[in-house]
Amino acid sequence: MQGSTSGKELTAAQIWSVEKGEKRSVNVIHIVITALLIGIGFVVGAFGSISFPLGFGVNFFWTGIAVQQVGSIWFGMWGVIAGAIFPFFSNAISGTPFYVSLAYIPANFVQGFLPAWAFRFFKADPRLKTGRDYLILLGAMIVSSAFGALWSPLVVLKGFGLLTTDSVPMFIWGWFGGNVVAGLVFNFILLKALSPVVIKTAAFVKKWWA
Amino acid sequence: MNKTLLGYVPEQSPIYVVHPFVKLFFMLVVSLFPIVIYAPEWNALIMLVIILLMWYSRVDMKTLKIYVPVAISMGTIILISYTVLGGNHPEFRLLVRFAGINFYWERIRDGLVVYFRILPMIFTMVFFLSTSRERDVIVAMRFVKIPFVVTYVFAMALRSAGLVLEDFFIIRQAEQARGFDTTGKSLWYKIRKYIMYMIPLFALSLRRAEEFTNALVARGYAFTGEAARVKRPDYVLTHYTFKTLDMSLTAAISAIFLIILILRYGYGYFTLDTSVFISWLSRVL
Repeated sequence: MQGSTSGKELTAAQIWSVEKGEKRSVNVIHIVITALLIGIGFVVGAFGSISFPLGFGVNFFWTGIAVQQVGSIWFGMWGVIAGAIFPFFSNAISGTPFYVSLAYIPANFVQGFLPAWAFRFFKADPRLKTGRDYLILLGAMIVSSAFGALWSPLVVLKGFGLLTTDSVPMFIWGWFGGNVVAGLVFNFILLKALSPVVIKTAAFVKKWWA
Repeated sequence: MNKTLLGYVPEQSPIYVVHPFVKLFFMLVVSLFPIVIYAPEWNALIMLVIILLMWYSRVDMKTLKIYVPVAISMGTIILISYTVLGGNHPEFRLLVRFAGINFYWERIRDGLVVYFRILPMIFTMVFFLSTSRERDVIVAMRFVKIPFVVTYVFAMALRSAGLVLEDFFIIRQAEQARGFDTTGKSLWYKIRKYIMYMIPLFALSLRRAEEFTNALVARGYAFTGEAARVKRPDYVLTHYTFKTLDMSLTAAISAIFLIILILRYGYGYFTLDTSVFISWLSRVL
């Protein structure tokens, strides 16, 4: 186990700081975890995309957000990469054109990156021990989803000529609501339930890559 | 039968005569056609060609049924987006006013054009997914010299998606066996309880990540450092040769795209003004 102090429970600051003498490097497990996150995201994301479609890969309730944001908090840039790639697959299965999915990459990247950055920057506890941790997660979820909600309809869908100006708000709210509500339902429980285990595994990423 | 990413294709399917790269190239390039083609009849022709290719490739058409609701819902959304949410435009030609909503010719036309542009993009993606196996994607990626680590991640991701899906069904059955069943419950209840599947899915994947890693390390795999620089034999590529037919198909796809670009931007073809369908519809409405 890396970075654990035997017997005592880790504090939020200790979770993210590299101890003296502790060596962290990119490992095979990080590559594997990226692949597995893409796999989970593929299945979980496709469920949301097929069950609650608004159109063009935008959903009323996108379950994939949990994999995107929780995975990024735990596994840093590997989670962010997985979060940017898996919508490609889940969107493809649910009938979103290849180039539309490609143009969504910046939105998906930010949606994964921002929560990961917020937890590392503010040294929040992924086990969600205090109200501050909840607040940081909620804030990161809202801001990142807001970026995605603005980028995707305004830049991508308008850019491809798929929407009229009058229908853009429906897609902005659809994307934003679909992500935030799904995040509220899944992110908190996933982090609360699994973070105590994940932070003790070799796959957990303290910095960005290791 | 060969299991593809979306369904099944017979082992003797003519599609396997073609190199996997050609299928990937077809998907990447043909998806671009509707971006420059506005005239619905041309996009309908692309769809027809793709359906014929699927039929020729002996794709099990039943698996495509899942896209019927997708196509209908997408069409409805586009229509609503362009008519109900289209706003008031006195400058447009009013066709009918229903329940206080103005239905303009220009809005219906634009909605139709968008729908006919989006469908061929979906069709090409579906054609690729229903004729390509995991191995085909790997071969296509290695063929264009995409780094081993990237290809490996993609291969593992595709494989793990199948495993996750299998895990999902096992978890669901295990929870049903314990008396948890969402059948007949409200949608909100089902959504909330979806977490009951997500937590075990994540936990299983974490355990699997360690198992995968141990297996890879034991086999001497490394993605960084000295060991990663060792040239690997692309065994899977030895099963595939890029033949004259593949070269001809790749050249033909490129040529068609080039011709479309020249006709569109040099001579103004494929626009709404030159569309036979749109001018006919305008007269009818």
